Amino acid sequence: MTGLDATLKFDPDTDLVARVGRGDRAAAQALMARHLPGMMRLARRMLASQAEAEDCVQDAFLKLWTHAGRWKPGRAKFETWLYRVTLNQCYDRLRKKPALGLEAAAEVADLAPAADAVLEAAAVADEVQAALRTLPERQRAAVLMCHYQGRNNIEAAEILGVSVEAMESLLARARRTLRTKLSHLRNP
Amino acid sequence: MTEDRNQEARFTDEVLGLLPTTPVPGALEARILADFDRIAAQRAPSVLVRAFWRWRDSLWPGAPLWKPASVLALSLAIGVMAGVLIPASDLAASTSSDQQYAAADDPPVVNMAGDL
Repeated sequence: MTGLDATLKFDPDTDLVARVGRGDRAAAQALMARHLPGMMRLARRMLASQAEAEDCVQDAFLKLWTHAGRWKPGRAKFETWLYRVTLNQCYDRLRKKPALGLEAAAEVADLAPAADAVLEAAAVADEVQAALRTLPERQRAAVLMCHYQGRNNIEAAEILGVSVEAMESLLARARRTLRTKLSHLRNP
Repeated sequence: MTEDRNQEARFTDEVLGLLPTTPVPGALEARILADFDRIAAQRAPSVLVRAFWRWRDSLWPGAPLWKPASVLALSLAIGVMAGVLIPASDLAASTSSDQQYAAADDPPVVNMAGDL
């Protein structure tokens, strides 16, 4: 194995996951501290409400607590698995309640004209969030992974379970849509 | 074309940078840890198993079970092989040699009557 391979395969979570599998509460807290904020950010931007995002992240951790004892290091990076579980939880919720996202987007869009003169930061953020919600779920996930969480295309493609080429295609379409919908925010 | 794509990427970075940070409520952390406690309680191993894990971790921290187990098995195998393969005559020889040393260490027997 080359040094680069070893670096790529090094998984800083392996020991913590093994300890969680043996019921170590301190390890569970350490894993939470490491991943909960990122998972919460992703879920919040994928879903319509804070409450839904919290439920989604809680369910993802429940899966982790249940499966940690059977985790096989070396197959996939733990973080990739955890974020994939989180994304799948988001997809499940979006498919169960497809109308909610659209309603929320419509509500926010109605607020936009009121903020036309002086775009307050909160109103702009709502507009961005509304534009995000109009993206198909995989495009939304792709753009959040790369432009909101700062992951590179390879990591994001692994989490989404697609090829890097497919990832780039998702990204290109998402960026174009966002640029069209938010073009009035030329100097955000 | 590439320049256009770069502009779109920069624009996306900028607009997503406008989104506020998402808070992680303490209540959510408490709920997640409560789930952990519930599942850990369901699967709690017996006192003996936990004691074994502690002993194993003190012996060889963080290693999978097969490592200390294989080292112990190897040591046992070497011991058994030594016991079986070393000829018994060698052992006997070393024992008689010990006896000679022991005899040499015994106090000398002096027959006073014979000398007179």
